[in-house]
Amino acid sequence: MIGRRAAIAALCAAVAALSSVASSAPSPAPDILVSRQLLESQQLQVGDVVSLSSDTSGANPRSFRIAGQYEPTPDPMRLGAVRLEVRLHLPDVVSLTAQSDPLDAESVDAINVVLANDDEARATVRRLMTAVPGTVAERAGNDERRAAPFVVLERFHLAIAIVTVIASSVFLLALMLMLVEERRATVGMLRLIGFRRTRILQHVLAEGVVIAITGALFGVVLSVVLEGGINRFFQWRYDTALVFVHITPGVALRSVTVAVPLGVAAIFASSWSLLRGEGISLTRR
Amino acid sequence: MRALIFAVRSLVRQPGRTALGIIGIAAVGALLFDMLLLSRGLVVSFRDLLDSVGFDVRVTATDSPLPGGIRLTDATGAAAQIARLPGVAEAVPMRTATGEVWQTGRPVIGLTLTGMDPGARRPWTLITGADLGPSLAPPELVVNQSLMDEVGGAIGSEVTLRTGCDSSRAALAPRTFRIVGIAQFPFDDEAQHTAVMTRTALREACGDDKDEADMLMVASSGGAGAAVAAIRAARPDLVPVTNEQIVARMQTQGFTYFRQISAVLSTITLLFGFLLITVLLTVSVNQRLAEIAALRALGFSRGRAAADVLLQGAMLVGAGGILALPLGFALSLWLDQILKAMPGIPASMHFFVFEPRALVLHAALLVTTALLASAYPMWLVARLPIATTLRNEVVG
Repeated sequence: MIGRRAAIAALCAAVAALSSVASSAPSPAPDILVSRQLLESQQLQVGDVVSLSSDTSGANPRSFRIAGQYEPTPDPMRLGAVRLEVRLHLPDVVSLTAQSDPLDAESVDAINVVLANDDEARATVRRLMTAVPGTVAERAGNDERRAAPFVVLERFHLAIAIVTVIASSVFLLALMLMLVEERRATVGMLRLIGFRRTRILQHVLAEGVVIAITGALFGVVLSVVLEGGINRFFQWRYDTALVFVHITPGVALRSVTVAVPLGVAAIFASSWSLLRGEGISLTRR
Repeated sequence: MRALIFAVRSLVRQPGRTALGIIGIAAVGALLFDMLLLSRGLVVSFRDLLDSVGFDVRVTATDSPLPGGIRLTDATGAAAQIARLPGVAEAVPMRTATGEVWQTGRPVIGLTLTGMDPGARRPWTLITGADLGPSLAPPELVVNQSLMDEVGGAIGSEVTLRTGCDSSRAALAPRTFRIVGIAQFPFDDEAQHTAVMTRTALREACGDDKDEADMLMVASSGGAGAAVAAIRAARPDLVPVTNEQIVARMQTQGFTYFRQISAVLSTITLLFGFLLITVLLTVSVNQRLAEIAALRALGFSRGRAAADVLLQGAMLVGAGGILALPLGFALSLWLDQILKAMPGIPASMHFFVFEPRALVLHAALLVTTALLASAYPMWLVARLPIATTLRNEVVG
């Protein structure tokens, strides 16, 4: 895409001056595409002829015909921003925004270049910057800077997850301690009738594994069920097609991998006092 | 008082369970406290940052309060006109640009440039050296520490700087500037390189014959609202906004993500706390059914028995809630450090900011959770059939 300086932004700012003209009148007005949000907010229709100006006062407007609407590419960096945008052909943008400076008609913000061989990107960037002094060339595919905020957010979410897991573990341990307490007499009886500690331990661990796996799977199913609802809510809230929650098999597996050992460990830790005690003492109330 | 002592004894009798309950509530409470700090942290921090600059009104050509959009024309005349208005103490035009420091044999250093004439107030704090003077031979620069470290020179040294004033124009020829001072700029992030020069110097560096500015920084003398009204009346073509209005706009647009996540996590945290307390108290009551029935048989009223459960819940939440505050504060420092790594966030801004209202809300939410969580076990205790329970427990 090649665009004039701040053309889209200026046109968006000038949208307040946008006025609908009779849609039925035949017009040689050039075509534009209008974002869905702008179309809805101004109650426009495909085929309408509208006036656009790059001046905030609405001066020197030009007529354009709405040839279609488009959904702006979801951009997490513009979350919360209302995407009031129009797309014009380059010559139209140039003529709409050109001022007294003769260079205006010859200037563009950027030139996108597709290379026949991607491997030559770095060398091409170097050659361009040397050959045309004052030109800044950079690889378009370099998304590191763009992704930086999301890397930070990922770290933040991980930190929150760690705190949540710690709180859950304490909760689980307290719960298990109480459940084991209820079984004190049962374990005492088993010990008195001849069950060895290892046998009871096996039983406790097996039970722990079953409970932990069931709990972890229930958690995964619950998150999958909630996924759609959360996405729909935030997509509605921010009027965007962005996906906010995406439960991948990898995420589910990681959750199960953390939850199951934690659950088993909690059950084992809480049962430890029972396994160590003598049978007769366990049966006392 | 007796009920309180009785509840304390009930908790002390089960030290492991009580300790785990308190730790669990403390962890949940710490997360809740942090989410309350996060819900308004950026807004409070951003407002403090704006206020710290000393100007409480910004005047622009459009309704965008950020520099870099459509510039206002005849900036000097507009600033002078606004400065004469009643309720306005000072009006200073400000223009921004980008720049590159060129040094032989070294990589180019990119920086953010501000062109602003120093007045009674200035949005930077001089650390060392001198402030901007009117000299244009060579023009003077005040830079931030990060840029000074990168350039590697000393105060008084000269640098070759190429300014980028308008992306639609061809690149300008580099010019020589002299660094006269080092300053702190409130909106700088950790890695940002910033320099300020006089607006005249920037206009010359840009080769610009237009008297344009990104915004006018205005300090009011009788309140920002009155100044805005006066500016609107005198210059209806300009858009004045107060710091409060900018903060309100950022609150509804820029910072919504953190408000949303704070609301979602606070709800989950409260739900989690509710479950934790309910389960702890309910299981505890179930294990003590015989004891409670015996106490009822000895003459304890329903209310007294229910109060015992409520007090146990209150003490668990109280102890956990108090423990949650230092824990939450420490956690907020860690989380703030993580989030401040986000590019473009000024170093002096914080995501987690303490406000007394956060503490009040934290306490209120925990008390409500404790009351709701205690309701079911209290109901169990209150409707306990004494004779049946005693018989069942003895037979069991």
